[in-house]
Amino acid sequence: MALETLILDILSFFSIYTIMTISLNFEQGYTGLFNLGLYFPIIAGALIVGYLPGRLAMVFYNIDPTLDFSANNAVVLSLLKTRLQADPFFSVALLAITLAVVVVVCAILGYVTAHPALRLTEDYLALFMLSLAETLRVIGQQTDWMAGGVMGIGLIDLFWCIGPYAYYGRAALVIGSALAIFLIYQRLCASPLGRLLKSVRENWLTAECVGKDVSQVKKKVLAFSFAILGVGGALHAIDLGAVVAGDYTRVDFSFWPWLMMIVGGTGNNLGVLAGTFALVMMRRVMIVMKPFFTFLPFDVLWLEPILLAIMLALTLTFRPAGIVPERPLKIKNYMRRVLHIKLQTKEEPSKLLVGR
Amino acid sequence: MLLAPIFITAIVSSFLLSLLAMGFTLQYVTLSIPNLAYATIAFASTYISLTMFLMHLSPYVGTPLAFLLGGLISLLLYKFVAFLRDRGTSLVGLMMSTLVFDLTIYGLMNIYAGYIAYAFKSYTYAFSLAEMDFSIGDVPGIVVVSAVTSISLVLLFHLLLVKTKFGTAMRAVMENYALAGVHGVDTEKILSVAWFFVGGVAGISGSFYPMWFYMDPWVGARMFISIFAACVVGGLRSIYGSLLGGFLIGASEIFVTFAFAGIFGVWIWSYRSVTAMIIAAFAIVMMPDGLAGFLKRLQMR
Repeated sequence: MALETLILDILSFFSIYTIMTISLNFEQGYTGLFNLGLYFPIIAGALIVGYLPGRLAMVFYNIDPTLDFSANNAVVLSLLKTRLQADPFFSVALLAITLAVVVVVCAILGYVTAHPALRLTEDYLALFMLSLAETLRVIGQQTDWMAGGVMGIGLIDLFWCIGPYAYYGRAALVIGSALAIFLIYQRLCASPLGRLLKSVRENWLTAECVGKDVSQVKKKVLAFSFAILGVGGALHAIDLGAVVAGDYTRVDFSFWPWLMMIVGGTGNNLGVLAGTFALVMMRRVMIVMKPFFTFLPFDVLWLEPILLAIMLALTLTFRPAGIVPERPLKIKNYMRRVLHIKLQTKEEPSKLLVGR
Repeated sequence: MLLAPIFITAIVSSFLLSLLAMGFTLQYVTLSIPNLAYATIAFASTYISLTMFLMHLSPYVGTPLAFLLGGLISLLLYKFVAFLRDRGTSLVGLMMSTLVFDLTIYGLMNIYAGYIAYAFKSYTYAFSLAEMDFSIGDVPGIVVVSAVTSISLVLLFHLLLVKTKFGTAMRAVMENYALAGVHGVDTEKILSVAWFFVGGVAGISGSFYPMWFYMDPWVGARMFISIFAACVVGGLRSIYGSLLGGFLIGASEIFVTFAFAGIFGVWIWSYRSVTAMIIAAFAIVMMPDGLAGFLKRLQMR
């Protein structure tokens, strides 16, 4: 593998996992929603990418309607390739439509799921989400017309129009999207909404007592993070150029992001970023080193979950707050106002609140 | 007597699932932490049955070994969780700690499957031992074995819980862990024995599954849906409710899917586990305290 390809590969993987871990941190680290079924919207996003753009392109270019995108995948792909190579505008439109549909569908899924899920206690919420995700995986795996079922499906490359640079185009899309999503989350978490979420996490009863609709907040958080996770799943599929529903396992798309978040530091986006980078590097190194372990009577990649388990155990035992622990919020304007009043009145800030 | 395969599947599934659901709920009630590794621990012992078969022995010979394996892993898991709990780890941390075992066993199962495939020159990533089972007349052995084992183990557990001092102490621990400790109950010993027993029972259930169903190293993840659904339908904190839930889910997974297959076609059969999840979601919305709560309300009327 050329160095350039290796670096882009690592960056793409890092970007996709960043989208997942940052969304998870938004749900768990900031709001305290224990979602172990992280791969539910990820599979949904991937399945939409497997189903929608190919069929839309078939309709747009009047491809023989007796052909099915799923059943005659290779034939349809070769027919669409020649057309899409010469049509960059439609490729961009197709990408935008697909991502918009992913966002809307996954947000609705998140909002609808929240209705029964939020009736459960923290621990059973985690189990419910996990079961829901596994159910969707089974559905994806068994439904041939959706995204090829067990065998999976090849996707149209929305970057065919840039010829030999398609690989770089896909990498740029994934990296750029991850950067934008990270910045959106940073902005959200530093805003009053971020403080509201932390108050819900720390003590939802107090938050309700001061007039916040905790249930609605949680529903919106789930809807928003589901939408972003769906985009993550869609980008992952676009980057790979294929969707195999069975490959979206709980280990790869739920437990790994959890470990990345725990190792990095829950409730801290920068810590989560550090944890994600460290573990993505470790996994990539294992894949690159695989040919050196051919003497073993089993596939060396099965050591990966064991390694994950060991790291999780060590982190939980010796560094439960992660590499970069969560820090208290610095609220500039609020502090300035309080300090200003304090300097003027020489009173303790707490006494200033009396009688208000 | 010729039993239709659909009935055999329903009987075996119901008995084994009710045992698994009971074990899962018991572990949850004792520590208030759902054990995410439970299904994987249970189904690790399917490879004991396979190994016995590859060594030209009856897969049932491995049952005591399956009990030991399930029990020991479960005991180790309890010790690890208790160690973290004593250090003040949060609920999320404690649940994640059960994942440590889930992942380790999952990795080891795949490694072991790879190793025995190499050693015995046989395909071990998907298998069923149904053809190796004995039969009584036209009834496959697993129907009798699963029914007798499940009923005996539930009765044994009930007697243990109701008629012995150990059972009284265990019920005290389940009601209030801290208070039981204050009253002189050796909570650590009680919980260690309970987790070992429950893990062992799960191991036995897991070792019986390949006698009728197809198995692979990923079966734990799939079966987790059914176990969770059974616990939700039975009542989240009710041990006897989860037994009922296991029966209901085990049977309805088969019969409901079979009925739909008659209407829509055979293709629907592959969505069997989805049936369980739909029933569980329905139970969460309509009957949050499950069958146990429903029966309690009926009693109070």
